[in-house]
Amino acid sequence: MNLQGLIRTLESFWERQGCAIVQPYDIEMGAGTFHPATFFGALGPKPWRVAYVQPSRRPTDGRYAENPLRMQRYYQYQVLIKPTVDDIQQLYLKSLRACGIRLEDHDIRFVQDDWESPTLGAWGLGWEVWLDSLEVTQFTYFQQVGGVDVERVSCEITYGIERIAMFALGLHDVYQLPWAAGTSYGDLHRDTERQGSAYNFEHATVPFYQELFQQHWQEADRLLKVGQQHPELKCGLLYPAYEQLLKCSHAFNMLDARGAISQSDRPRFVLRIRMLARRCADAYLGEERVQQFVNEVVKAPDAA
Amino acid sequence: MPRKLPLEETLLVEIGTEELPAAYLDGAIAQLRDDGQRLLDEAHLVHGAVESFGTLRRLVMIVRGLSAFQRNPAEQIRGPSKQVAFGPDGKPTQALLGFLRARGGTLGQLKTVATERGEYLHFLKPASTVSSIKVLPELIQHLISGLRFPKTMRWDASGFRFARPVRWLLVLDGSTPVRVTVGRLTSGRVTRVGGPKKPKAVAVGSVSAYHTALKRDGIMLDQQARRQRIDQLVRTAGKKTGGVVAPEMITHGLLDEVAGLTERPVPLVGRFDPKYLALPREVLLASMAKHQRVFAVQSASGKLLPAFVAILDGAPRKPAAIRAVMERILNARLADSLLFFEQDRKTPLKSAALAGVTFHEKLGSMEDKTQRMRKLIDPLASAWRLSDGERTQLERACALAKGDLVTTMVKEFPTLQGVMGKHYALGDGEPREVAMAIGEHYLPLAGRSPETLLGSALSVLDKYDTLASYFHIGIEPTGDQDPFGLRRAAQGIIEVAWLVRRPLPCGALFAPWQAAATRLAHGKAHLAEQVKTYLLERLYTFAWPKPVPTRDIIDAVLASRPDDLVDAMERIISLTRFNGNRALLKAAKVIERTANILKGAKQIPQGEPDPSKFQDALEGKLWNLLSTRRRDIDTLIAKQSYGEATTLYGEVFFEPLHEFFAKVMVNVKDPQIQQNRLALMRSINTLYTDRVADLSKLAILEEGTV
Repeated sequence: MNLQGLIRTLESFWERQGCAIVQPYDIEMGAGTFHPATFFGALGPKPWRVAYVQPSRRPTDGRYAENPLRMQRYYQYQVLIKPTVDDIQQLYLKSLRACGIRLEDHDIRFVQDDWESPTLGAWGLGWEVWLDSLEVTQFTYFQQVGGVDVERVSCEITYGIERIAMFALGLHDVYQLPWAAGTSYGDLHRDTERQGSAYNFEHATVPFYQELFQQHWQEADRLLKVGQQHPELKCGLLYPAYEQLLKCSHAFNMLDARGAISQSDRPRFVLRIRMLARRCADAYLGEERVQQFVNEVVKAPDAA
Repeated sequence: MPRKLPLEETLLVEIGTEELPAAYLDGAIAQLRDDGQRLLDEAHLVHGAVESFGTLRRLVMIVRGLSAFQRNPAEQIRGPSKQVAFGPDGKPTQALLGFLRARGGTLGQLKTVATERGEYLHFLKPASTVSSIKVLPELIQHLISGLRFPKTMRWDASGFRFARPVRWLLVLDGSTPVRVTVGRLTSGRVTRVGGPKKPKAVAVGSVSAYHTALKRDGIMLDQQARRQRIDQLVRTAGKKTGGVVAPEMITHGLLDEVAGLTERPVPLVGRFDPKYLALPREVLLASMAKHQRVFAVQSASGKLLPAFVAILDGAPRKPAAIRAVMERILNARLADSLLFFEQDRKTPLKSAALAGVTFHEKLGSMEDKTQRMRKLIDPLASAWRLSDGERTQLERACALAKGDLVTTMVKEFPTLQGVMGKHYALGDGEPREVAMAIGEHYLPLAGRSPETLLGSALSVLDKYDTLASYFHIGIEPTGDQDPFGLRRAAQGIIEVAWLVRRPLPCGALFAPWQAAATRLAHGKAHLAEQVKTYLLERLYTFAWPKPVPTRDIIDAVLASRPDDLVDAMERIISLTRFNGNRALLKAAKVIERTANILKGAKQIPQGEPDPSKFQDALEGKLWNLLSTRRRDIDTLIAKQSYGEATTLYGEVFFEPLHEFFAKVMVNVKDPQIQQNRLALMRSINTLYTDRVADLSKLAILEEGTV
């Protein structure tokens, strides 16, 4: 077993559960939740099962490749099951077994986590799953996304792939993990972590990211307005707007890593991003409702 | 012959859930017992003891001696009016028949009752006995859906809400399963054991079989017993390390939390690398308690030992392997912290680049904030009579206060802000007083208040600037919305000032603040007044010592527009001690009568009266008293001897004023005389109301006579 094998195991496990296996999103993001497949997928009534790897950026978590557990860029394996199913917890544990973890040998806990993404206006209740006191997964029943109460409750399962692999392989240092035969995680990421950490903490230009935040925010704001003012665009411009939100969020995280955002200033930044998320969710639901109406009419032509 | 049914049974209700938050357990267990008891009583179900238990995976109610029958007393239930009940043909209408159907009555059980509004039909419901098993399903459904939690969630299409998903229900009345429906679930006779790793469904036929099933799996159902057991396990395990459990572990709720995180507690002792003991105690505790929920241990002398006690859920097959992982994780976390600590210490606090840290977009950086706070030192130091030495130290502490915000440790553990500043200041060789002040300046917080004078001073400076700054840009708390913690800041200022019991002059603080804030845009008019008023209004909700001041006394003191918060508090306390006293009522009467006469005047003169214009000897008498006794009263007020000042004021003016009003007319035709008399009234009134309280607001005036 190696990391690429582990990813394949999860892919086929969740594929068998009826998930669409999609690809990582190509914009920096803090977590798999930001992927449109989850953000928009969790909204509306349509059943949806999806799974994917999402490289996740946490600029403040960089440790110059010195810490065996923390990285400024790592891999999440993200699963969204909408609506959730009754045996979802057991299904998840089964997936851990599939990854080669003998649960009998470990202390496993579901520790309360009132999960919240203030920037996405999303919250849910669930747990951090702890294996021998290390958090390996976040397990959340979404209640609200983009400031909107969800119509059907999704279960989001977010695995820390590296940590799962460490348990499966009995290794203690992420950089020792084999990615493929002859290639370790360290070969791939020791330098990117060192340089990434140095960039995030020391060399990223604060005014540059402040400017980026502004620019991306304004662009998102403008795109959402354009969508509103031009009904002939039908689907609006909400995906392009949402992409700008992602960039805003990343700029915010970079400013945070540079120590350029104080505790008291944080709420204001967060609020600005959340307002965008809310508008994207509203636009999406408006559109989905239109689509639903069209489907109903098309399905029942006799009704007219 | 039919088998004789038992008259009493034991009722067992188990709500099986996915893992509940530890902090919810105690509340839910208590509710289950109280609500269960109430619902049974309301349903006339005779029962014995109602007990409730719980773990993270189950909430359980057990009712002993539950009667097999519900005994309903006879009742008379009002139905439709006679007019509505019977048609013109004298036959019962649908309205009547519907009523009887709903209540389970017949036409023969009706009685006509005359009321003021005409004749009505009543259903005479006889006393009845219903099998408990018939009423229990609805009652239990009610009980379960009525449980309240701090946060609830939905999980399926039924929309049923609970703290976490409910996955099974077990309800037994004796050995009989009771069918209860909650959301999409229907109850059965099956419980689940084995935890998430080896889930096992076990069918049980009685309460004792249920207990046996749990016991066999090592599950401790009783929260209290489990907590005690964990406490004992941790203490015993702690001894093995050669120490005792750190007291903060118990007081800060870790024990409760762990009791809610496991249903089959098993201890495990681990160690960490002693080199991490170089970290401040707060950091070590935070890492252990917060990140890993393990107990720190310390030596007899109170120094932390490089060991911990963990409580596992269920006996593990390979404890050594789990220990190794837990130790490695803790070591990695502490290595991270030590790296932060050492890295942070390379840069002295004084060179922290606070200009790059935004306080708020419109309020500038933390450097700007520090500069504004600095300007407040002058007025506060003189109000608090700080020595030159103290003042220098306060300046130093102020300059360094926010330095730890750029440290990596505070970014990792935001709750350690201030605390880390203290440690770093000590490391930089700053005086102890300076370090302590930095460490205390975010207090009061979580029941802790600053203990040093300089810590109190710095706390006030910081909070005053925060309050004034946000108000300046138009951000104020509204309703229960207070995202910037301004209400807490205002309350903190009052609490700290009261603890040190030194003056807090709002005006003197505001002037230099404003001078320092000239660079801020969006200035608001009347800001000084607004900040002061907001602070003073907190006095209504202050945690006063007993006797707690009544609202009218606070109203009276605030009406005198005090500038010094602490002085206002002294007045409130003095007048409260004095409440109900005849001397206070006398003084209040003087204020009330002079105020009333001034209220009626079209124009109120501003200066003192002119004795040359007095017409009546009684005017001269009042003026004499005013001139000769004013200084005595002033002196008492200046000494904050408000009780004595009030007594003297009442004694001096009450009788002469009474006489004056009886014999002298204030509102005479000659405007000069009238104005002069009003000026006299005003001088008497304001001698007290300007500096102590407007006693005309007191409730005692409404009932009391002197």
